[in-house]
Amino acid sequence: MKSSTIERDLLATLDPMDRRGRLWVGGLLAVCAMACVAWTVQLVYGLRVTDMRNYVSWGMYMTNFVFFIGISHAGTLISAILRVTDAGWRRPITRMAEAITVIALVIGASMVMIDMGRPDRLLNLLIHGRFQSPILWDLVSVTTYLSGSFLYLYVAMIPDMPMLATHAREHGRSPRLVRFYEMLSLGYRESPAHRRLLARALGAMAVIIIPVAISVHTVVSWVFGMTLRPGWHSTIFGPYFVIGAIFSGTAAIITAMFLFRRAYHLESYLRPEHFHKLAKILLALSLLYAYFALSEYLTTWYGGVATDSRLLELLAGTGPVGAAFWLWAVFGLFVPIGLLLFPSHRSMGSIVTASVLINIGMWVKRYLIIVPTLQTTFIPAEAAGINPHYFPSLVECMITAGAVAAFLLFFTLFSRLFPILSVWETVEDAEDAARVAVRAPGPTPAGKRVRAVPAVTVALLIVAGALVLAPWTAASAQTLSGVPAGAHAGAHAGAHAAAPAAVPTVPATSIAHIELERTSEDGQEMLVATVTVNGQPVAGATVAFSVARSFGIMALGEDQTLADGTAAVPYPEGLPGNARGDLDFSVTMLSPPALVTAPVQVTIGGAERPLAAPAEVPRALWSSRAPLAIVGTIAFLLLCVWATYGFVVVQLTAMYHLNGEG
Amino acid sequence: MSQGADASSAAAGQGVATLSLTADGGLVVSSVRAGGSAKPTSVEVRRGVPGRRWVMVIDLAACDGCGKCTDVCAKSHFIPGDREFIRLFNMQESTDTAPYWFPRPCFHCDNPPCTRVCPVGATFKRQDGIVLIDNERCIGCRFCMAACPYSARSFNWSPPADPAPAVARGYSPEWGYPRRVGTVEKCDFCADMAREGKLPHCVSGCAMTALWFGDENEDAVTNSKGDTVRLSKFLRDRAGFRYMEELGTKPRVYYLPAANRRSAAPGEPGANVSNSQRRRDQR
Repeated sequence: MKSSTIERDLLATLDPMDRRGRLWVGGLLAVCAMACVAWTVQLVYGLRVTDMRNYVSWGMYMTNFVFFIGISHAGTLISAILRVTDAGWRRPITRMAEAITVIALVIGASMVMIDMGRPDRLLNLLIHGRFQSPILWDLVSVTTYLSGSFLYLYVAMIPDMPMLATHAREHGRSPRLVRFYEMLSLGYRESPAHRRLLARALGAMAVIIIPVAISVHTVVSWVFGMTLRPGWHSTIFGPYFVIGAIFSGTAAIITAMFLFRRAYHLESYLRPEHFHKLAKILLALSLLYAYFALSEYLTTWYGGVATDSRLLELLAGTGPVGAAFWLWAVFGLFVPIGLLLFPSHRSMGSIVTASVLINIGMWVKRYLIIVPTLQTTFIPAEAAGINPHYFPSLVECMITAGAVAAFLLFFTLFSRLFPILSVWETVEDAEDAARVAVRAPGPTPAGKRVRAVPAVTVALLIVAGALVLAPWTAASAQTLSGVPAGAHAGAHAGAHAAAPAAVPTVPATSIAHIELERTSEDGQEMLVATVTVNGQPVAGATVAFSVARSFGIMALGEDQTLADGTAAVPYPEGLPGNARGDLDFSVTMLSPPALVTAPVQVTIGGAERPLAAPAEVPRALWSSRAPLAIVGTIAFLLLCVWATYGFVVVQLTAMYHLNGEG
Repeated sequence: MSQGADASSAAAGQGVATLSLTADGGLVVSSVRAGGSAKPTSVEVRRGVPGRRWVMVIDLAACDGCGKCTDVCAKSHFIPGDREFIRLFNMQESTDTAPYWFPRPCFHCDNPPCTRVCPVGATFKRQDGIVLIDNERCIGCRFCMAACPYSARSFNWSPPADPAPAVARGYSPEWGYPRRVGTVEKCDFCADMAREGKLPHCVSGCAMTALWFGDENEDAVTNSKGDTVRLSKFLRDRAGFRYMEELGTKPRVYYLPAANRRSAAPGEPGANVSNSQRRRDQR
């Protein structure tokens, strides 16, 4: 195929829309408008308009979030992994895959905002962000992934830009559009210098975007995995979600390929071989996903922990959740595997059917990960007469439909603005095919060096991760310190205390005088009360001892006075003082009735008391400031990734200046 | 006895613990803050009451499932009908073991899973042990609700309809009203009451004296009748435990096992109606 033909065919997708196209866009806009109305209703009436309640507090929106973030992995697989491994057949597909990534990320991130009770307080994430929270990890890694994907999508489009500018000029498009393309082209021309800079930028992006993509779906899984809930608190959740994401992303790209092939008549570019090659990858991923699912459910079932078992009973049961589970297992996994398994039966139809089933199935699977676990509580809600149910409300369904429509709309508009197949790469592909000569194996030395940069970065990331792991576990073990009463503290309470102003001058024979002191008898600490009337000790009187606590009086015991007027109870060994470090004792005469007095209060200072509860809250997982290990890890990882992005931008700047010189 | 406490706190000076005599010869102690019921500052709210470690003990042997704790809590916190800060469950571990009533407030864990995951520090752990929520910072992501293993948290799904007294008092995280739509709330251990030296509403409202509250630093807990016992001895003698200790959350709420029950267990003759029955009746 000649490159001029390719150019003509692929740029034809930019022609003004026909009636069918306008209807399609109009329909999508209508669905989006409906979703906007639904969201307005939700903003006015609160999340009450959803079916989420206190037990099932996450539902369809979170499902959509995980689903779209999963779809976004299409770009990573096709364009990054296949580019790094130099699979030539990827070329017509890369643009589409990278566009899916960017658009799905935008939609996915907006689902979280729609799920928020207070979207107006979004900025609190920046003002008060806590790096112990997986949501902050999500925020950081999704932002990084979105920026990276955007950059990646753009870099791979640069060589098409001069072509697009020319095309727009020749077809009498608005000069503003021409200028737009020219600006984006950064003055790119077919010259060795330009090619080299482009190869460097693309090589670096292709490598760095892979760990970033993996991190994104890992931390998405950790939103669930880091809790203690049955079905979520699982160590395989990271890889399970990453595989699930690439799985659904690949299915999404096959579906998109099929739709664009039909809509834009790209049969000679998106050929059956492309579908078949992707089908093999999809089959491998579906088997891998089935393996992960089996591993997860089998261990849970075999172990048979009570809460886990209740979850599995719900999943495999006869209710609506059970129905959804079996529908997913059969139509989302086994049927697609069957459709893809035998090469002889693999047709375009079966591949696309399998992909669509997988896409729907993976949405259902995400729903089955989120909702049933929230229905399965440690303290069964049923024991409080509550049935935690959930079924998406109309508002939720409308917003979800809007999210899908917005995804398709953005995709459509993107394909009207830029060729949906990468023209320069398709031309390259055709040239490669035309060249009968055996291609030199492997990339050029220059390319090799370029790939070494991000490869070293990735290696560094892994080493850093391993290094950081140890202190992290140590940090997470920190707990609130020093709570209970210090066992000692030089417990010589002054012990001597006078009763409140005894009045000997008043000749009231029936008024008893009580003195309380702390003494040591035979090595045992005692609290001794001496009862006197007019200076004479009283024998046989019953005396009650108590000590004041914040909310009440704690009885210490009763005793009868001896001949010397003393009564004693054991000193409450180790009893901490009150907030001031004092022990407010009181003594009450219970009998004889003639002597009954009001309680006599005595304060003994210097009691054992951990006066200072932890003055500074440590950097624990729950405290306001994050453990340094977490902050350090995140900062280091971000630095590595953003440094690579910076490297790419430097190449682009160099490209721009190159033009000025040439 | 509560009148005695009120009277003394009204007369009390700044930061002084007061002892007052009550009709039955008992004593009431109350520490009163300067300014009485004035709103604590945001620093005070985040710190908690200095030197305190609030703790609750729930005596499952004494609980008769009357639901009074839930009711007084709802009334004093102006709680809408779709949620309960202290929720009553009728539990039975297995068919062969005895059923029992299980009141569940927020456990105010010392290693709180909810607070760990909060992205904005809207929910926080104080030095006096209480876990509170700042409804003016909460972004409503509900991660804490998903993370709490005890389902102790509720959400303001609709715009609130606060009664006049709630609005009049003005907002503080220590009492959580007037409510803010789209934010999370839960049992606050009546942080404002504890600050004034008063028992939480559920504790003082429990006629069965099943609920005890106190300061771990004082090693004492008190029930609605004013009975005060030494916490460490109480837990030791009565074989106290924390619910699902294996989760590692370190709750600040202890339970005493439902041995030698003082009243009928759920489902037994003469027992209070079950929760499902109660909810059916409400409808």
